[in-house]
Amino acid sequence: MFQHPRAALFLCALSLFAAGEALGQQQTAAAGENIYDMNCAQCHGEKLANAGITFDLKRLKAADRPRFENSVLNGKGQMPPWRGVLKESDIEALWTYIRANANE
Amino acid sequence: MRSNNHIGLLALASFFAACGSAPAFAQSAADLLNDPKNTQSVLTYGMGYKAQRHSALKQINRGNVKNLVAAWAYSMTDQTGLEAQPLVHDGIIYITNHNRTAAVDGVTGKEIWRNNLDYAPELLRIVCCGIVNRGSALFNGKLIRTTLDNRILAMDAKTGKEVWSAKSDADYTKGYSMTVAPLVANGVVITGVAGAEFGIRGFLEGYDAETGKFLWRRYTIPAKGEKGSETWPGDSAETGGGSTWVTGSYDPDLDLVFWGIGNPAPWNPRGRKGDNLYTNSIIAVKPKTGEVAWVTQASPEDPYDHDGVNSLVQAEIKTGGETRKVVMQAHRNGFLYVLDRATGKPIAVNPFVEVNWASGWDYAKGRPIWTDVTIKAQAGEKVNVFPSNYGGTNWFPMSYDPSANLLFINTNAMGMEYQAPEPVKVVAGQPAFGVTTKPIAPEFRGHLKAVDPMTGKAKWSVPFKHINTAGTMNTAGGLVFTGQLSGEFMALDAANGKLLWQFQTPSGIISQPITWEKNGVQYVTVGSGIGGVYAMRVAGPSLGNVPTGSTLWTFKLHGK
Ligand code: HEC
Repeated sequence: MFQHPRAALFLCALSLFAAGEALGQQQTAAAGENIYDMNCAQCHGEKLANAGITFDLKRLKAADRPRFENSVLNGKGQMPPWRGVLKESDIEALWTYIRANANE
Repeated sequence: MRSNNHIGLLALASFFAACGSAPAFAQSAADLLNDPKNTQSVLTYGMGYKAQRHSALKQINRGNVKNLVAAWAYSMTDQTGLEAQPLVHDGIIYITNHNRTAAVDGVTGKEIWRNNLDYAPELLRIVCCGIVNRGSALFNGKLIRTTLDNRILAMDAKTGKEVWSAKSDADYTKGYSMTVAPLVANGVVITGVAGAEFGIRGFLEGYDAETGKFLWRRYTIPAKGEKGSETWPGDSAETGGGSTWVTGSYDPDLDLVFWGIGNPAPWNPRGRKGDNLYTNSIIAVKPKTGEVAWVTQASPEDPYDHDGVNSLVQAEIKTGGETRKVVMQAHRNGFLYVLDRATGKPIAVNPFVEVNWASGWDYAKGRPIWTDVTIKAQAGEKVNVFPSNYGGTNWFPMSYDPSANLLFINTNAMGMEYQAPEPVKVVAGQPAFGVTTKPIAPEFRGHLKAVDPMTGKAKWSVPFKHINTAGTMNTAGGLVFTGQLSGEFMALDAANGKLLWQFQTPSGIISQPITWEKNGVQYVTVGSGIGGVYAMRVAGPSLGNVPTGSTLWTFKLHGK
C-alpha cells in the first residue's frame, strides 16, 4: 500500500503509542489470567470456558464493571466473597482478562 | 519396595481403651461385615467392606432391564453437584450433599427428615474440585458424615437429631476441607481430608463411633526428623499435600484399613526434589490406633497431580496356581495396582489407559520406570503427558465382578501439555500450582472399560465423547450401571458392554448407583446433579448446556 511518507511517520508514532498501551493491557490481562487460573477456574472453567453450570463470565458487558466488583468482593449465592484476599489491582487485572475474552 | 512396618509418623493419642462400649455395637458391627450379603441394605460406602460395588440381586437382569421405570425422584433443593453414594437401611435411603443430610422412604420417595448445614461463605474459596460431599456411614442407629468445615457429625438415623459432633483440628483458612464419606471399621470412624491444592499436610483421623471422641491422627507426610522426611528438601514437607479425600476399604480379618494418599503440593515439583513420601501412596492402618502396617508409593516426586486417592477394591484372585488376597487401585497415574493385602507388595502393575510418563513398573526397586517425559518435566521443559492431571480415571469408584474377575472402570483418555517453569513456594491456604497445563483432548475422551486386573487389558470398552465421572456398579443380573455427565443413567451388559437401557435424568450424573430390595422388589437408586472438577473446569461448552439441580432417583421393574 502506498502512503505519503509524512503520514506514515505519523501513523507510526501513533501505533507506537497505541502499542505501548496495548502492551500494558496485555500484561494486565496476563496477570488477570494467572489470578483467574488460581482462584476462579475451578468453578468458572479453564480459559473461561464453561459447560453452562456456573455463571459464564464472558457474558459480562463493559457496563457491568460495578456489578463485577460487587459480586467478586461480596460473593453471591455459592460464589465465595474475595474481599481481603484480592487487591483492587487484582480485580482490575481479572476484569481486563475477562473483557479481553468477552462475547461483546 | 516401600513397605514399612514402623514408619515413625505421629499418632496423637489412643483413648479407645477407655470407652468401654465394645459389647453395645457388636450386632451392628456384624451387620457391617455382612453388608454385601444382605441385599436389603447398603450400609457402607462401596457396598460392603471390600468396596466391590457388586450386588447378588438379579430380579433386574439383562433379559428384562428394558422394563426398568422410575419409581420416584426426590429434590435435594440445590444447584451443586450430587456426588454422594446413598445408603439404605430398613427401607430408608440416606443421602448427603455439601449442606444437606436427608432420609427418604425408599419405596415412596417421601422425605422423612432433612437437616441443613451452614458454613462460612468464604470457605468455598478453598474447595478446589466441586462443592460436594461424597456420602455417609451407618453405625448402630447413627448416620455419620463429614462437613466442608471439618466437622464429623453423627445423627440419629430415625429422627436426624444430633447424637454427637466432633471438630477436627484442621482449619479451612489453611486449605483443609472434608468431602469424604467416612468409613466405620472396628468401632472407629475413619475420615480423610482434602486440600493438597492449597498446601495442606494431609492426614487420616479416627473417632470413636459411639461417642465421637477423637482417637488418633496419622499424618501422611512425615514431620522433620521422622523417617521419610529426608525425601523433602527444606520446609517443603510442611505444606506437602498428601490429601485423603476418597474413602478406602477395610479387611476385618487383617484388621486393616486401606486408603489412597493423594498428590504432593505444589503441583510444580521443582522445589521439592525427592520421593515426597508418602504422597501418591496406598497406606494400610490399624483402625483402632492408626498404626501403619505398610505403605506402597505409586508415583514418587509426582509433577502431574496424579492424585492417587482412587478407590481400593479388595478381591481374592487366582494367579500362578494360588488364590491371592489383593487390594486393587486404578490410579490416576494410569497404572492398575494389584497389591497383596497383608504386605502391600505389588503383584501386578499394568497400564489401563495410554501412559507415557513411565514405561512400566520396576518390581525389584518397587518404583515406576520414568520415561524422558518425566525427566524433562522435572527439569522444567514443556512436555505432552498421558494421562493428564485429570488422570486415567478420577475419584469415581470402580466396581468388581468376582465371578468374571473384571473391573468396570470409567476411564479418561486425555493428555496435557505441561510445564513447570520456575520452582514455587507454597503458603498454606493459598493455591499451590506453579505449572501451566493445556488439555489434549481426543474425540472420545471417556471409555467405560471392563478390565482384567492382572493385565490391565480391556475385555470390552465403550467410548464416550466426554468422560463419565460417575461410579460404576455391577449385579449378578449381568448388568453394569453408570451415568453420563449429560444425564443418561445407563445399564450395560456386563459380558460385552452393550447398552441395554437408559433413562434421561434432569442433570448430569456424578454419583454412585446402588441396588437393594424390599418386600421382594429390587430397586436401583442414583443421584443426578452435575458438578465436580471435570464438569466445572474442563468439560467446556462441548458438553452442552447441562441443567443444574440435584435430585435422587429410584427405579424398579414395571409392574413390580
Ligand atoms: C466455589 C466456586 C466459585 C469460585 C471459586 C468462584 N466463583 Fe464466581 N460464581 C460462582 C457461582 C456459583 C456463581 C453464581 C452465583 C449466583 O448467581 O448465585 C458465580 C458468579 C460469579 C459472577 C456473577 C455474579 C453476578 O453478579 O451475577 C462473577 C462476576 C464471578 N462469579 C466472578 C468470579 C471470579 C472473578 C472468581 C475468582 C476470583 C470467582 N468468581 C470464583 C462460583 C464460584
